[in-house]
Amino acid sequence: MNLWLLAAAALMFGLIPCGIVVFTRDAINRLVGLEMAGLIETLVLLFLAQGLNNPNFYDLALAMALLTFGGGLVFARFLERWL
Amino acid sequence: MSGAAHLAVTVLLAVAVVVALICCLALLLMKDFYERLHYMAPVSTVATFCVLAAVTVQEGWGQATLKTIVIALVLFFMNATLAHVTARADRVHKLGHWTADPKEDIPGLPKHVDSERKR
Repeated sequence: MNLWLLAAAALMFGLIPCGIVVFTRDAINRLVGLEMAGLIETLVLLFLAQGLNNPNFYDLALAMALLTFGGGLVFARFLERWL
Repeated sequence: MSGAAHLAVTVLLAVAVVVALICCLALLLMKDFYERLHYMAPVSTVATFCVLAAVTVQEGWGQATLKTIVIALVLFFMNATLAHVTARADRVHKLGHWTADPKEDIPGLPKHVDSERKR
């Protein structure tokens, strides 16, 4: 296991507080937890791409970042209008 | 990779991971929604740019670094936009409108400023 994979494994622990916020708080706080989880997951995918030494995996991290952005916007709009 | 470069990558990665973990913990511990919202910023700025620096030190200029630059820029601008949109959604959800109301009570504002504002 190299340094990048170790960092990815350590960073995965950051998903636990995000999960607790998402599963226990009200709707708007859940959205913040979801956005933070998206950020953490993007960094984890970046670490995995570098750790596994496969440049193609960087596209996964980029896709994750863009989808987190789009998903956050959609959920925020949904909360604003319908909840 | 030389010893100094390896040390630099280690330190940069450690800073990124520690900052991200502290922010995740703060997300859980903060009581207020607006306080909680602020803790996305260090992850998308400090942690992300530390990772970018670490990739640059290890790989030099190449495909990996260019893709990491794109990801870092997306995360940087994403955080600013998402924080604003989420705070706006909360305000509209609670008050029913986004625009400023001169009669609205703003918590923490000094009394003389508040009375001047409402006049």
